[in-house]
Amino acid sequence: MDDLLRIYQDAFVEAFELADKSTLADLKYQSIEEWDSIGHMALMAELESGFNITIKTEDLIQFESYVQGVEILSRYDVHIKI
Amino acid sequence: MPLLQKPLVVDKFRSFHDYVKANDGKIGLKQRGLDINLNNACNLKCEHCFTLSPKGLHAKDRFPIEKIKEIGDQADQLGIFEIDLQGGELLLDQNYLYSVLKALKTERFYVYVTTNGFFMTKEVAENLFELGVDRVSVSIDSIDPDTHDKFRGKKGSWERAIKALEYVKEAGMSPYLNITVGRYNVDSEDLKLLLDYSKDNRYTTLLNVATPGGMWASMHEICINDDDREHLIAMRKKYKNILRNLWDPFDRNREGVIGCNTINRLYITPIGDVLPCPYVHIKIGNIFEQTLQEISENGFRVKYFREYSEKCLAGEDRDFINNYMAKGNTTIFNPKNYEDLFGEDEIFKDKVSLPAKPMG
Repeated sequence: MDDLLRIYQDAFVEAFELADKSTLADLKYQSIEEWDSIGHMALMAELESGFNITIKTEDLIQFESYVQGVEILSRYDVHIKI
Repeated sequence: MPLLQKPLVVDKFRSFHDYVKANDGKIGLKQRGLDINLNNACNLKCEHCFTLSPKGLHAKDRFPIEKIKEIGDQADQLGIFEIDLQGGELLLDQNYLYSVLKALKTERFYVYVTTNGFFMTKEVAENLFELGVDRVSVSIDSIDPDTHDKFRGKKGSWERAIKALEYVKEAGMSPYLNITVGRYNVDSEDLKLLLDYSKDNRYTTLLNVATPGGMWASMHEICINDDDREHLIAMRKKYKNILRNLWDPFDRNREGVIGCNTINRLYITPIGDVLPCPYVHIKIGNIFEQTLQEISENGFRVKYFREYSEKCLAGEDRDFINNYMAKGNTTIFNPKNYEDLFGEDEIFKDKVSLPAKPMG
């Protein structure tokens, strides 16, 4: 697994206290109790610190799933292969 | 409505998140919310009412709609992201509430309505959702209908409250179950069952600690103690869906306390008096005479409201309660003026600079 993917997955695991990574591909905003508006802020903070970027508000709002997040991060030159 | 559909709120919420993180997990001088008592009329006679609604105080006073617009603008300028509309019981006059929501421009705020749920219907819930309400908080005192009804002074109020939560969820808003906790119920089986009920239904539970004010003035024995506070933290970790306003919502360990929210979450009465919070009946200004910014800056001059407190001043800090809340029969309509109450050494001379609103 490349480093970028590991950082990306770890951000979700940390922000939502996930037991493992097996369900990551299905994750969407509000699909689990932990991914609410507060969890969303935690996820954004993890991603910003992990990739050393600042996510714009319009991107933060569009970031609604694990899969979609990959496309959004590519706007910051973070190219993840899932 | 999911918060992410309100970009203006996301900006402010993010700014709050960043401020708290950068400030060692403490709320500091960051303004977060307004609790507005629009009208104090109520259909129930709750034993613990902090606004003295059962006595009919100021039942006919209500906020002019024009003033709501102005308060919304001022709050937005201060970076305030959440507004709790409360009473009394606001669903007694639904058209007035709808007018307030329109005037507030709800796209700028995370808006919630606190209600006893008695008059909630499917249609009302749908109207609230359409008008931009994000969350409805329904107060419940017991898992036992008779206990709740007795406490609220009306038969059938428990059933209506429970049904209200269902309507709220169906309409697409966040259902919050509000529980008041004091020495009398903090480690009871009843509270545990109520927390289980909330969790099982995927609601969020908001805990408010009992405070010796309003109908419970002078009842200091209701206040939780240090052991109780630890017990609530244990519940917070166990259930994961429990909030207190002074807890750090961003702390994944569910241990952090951002501090008492006095001034950070101002309370406005129907006659415009502004108090540091709903439960500290000390007047720091009047919204018909001053701006929210001026009032906030004045409020933060008071040592106790500026400095960090891990305890709720009104419900847990015995010294504050004994020294400042137990004097002079204060109520939300008869608050003591802060300059008359605090000594020179308790009011800072310097002007406070409030954190800037995020640039959108």
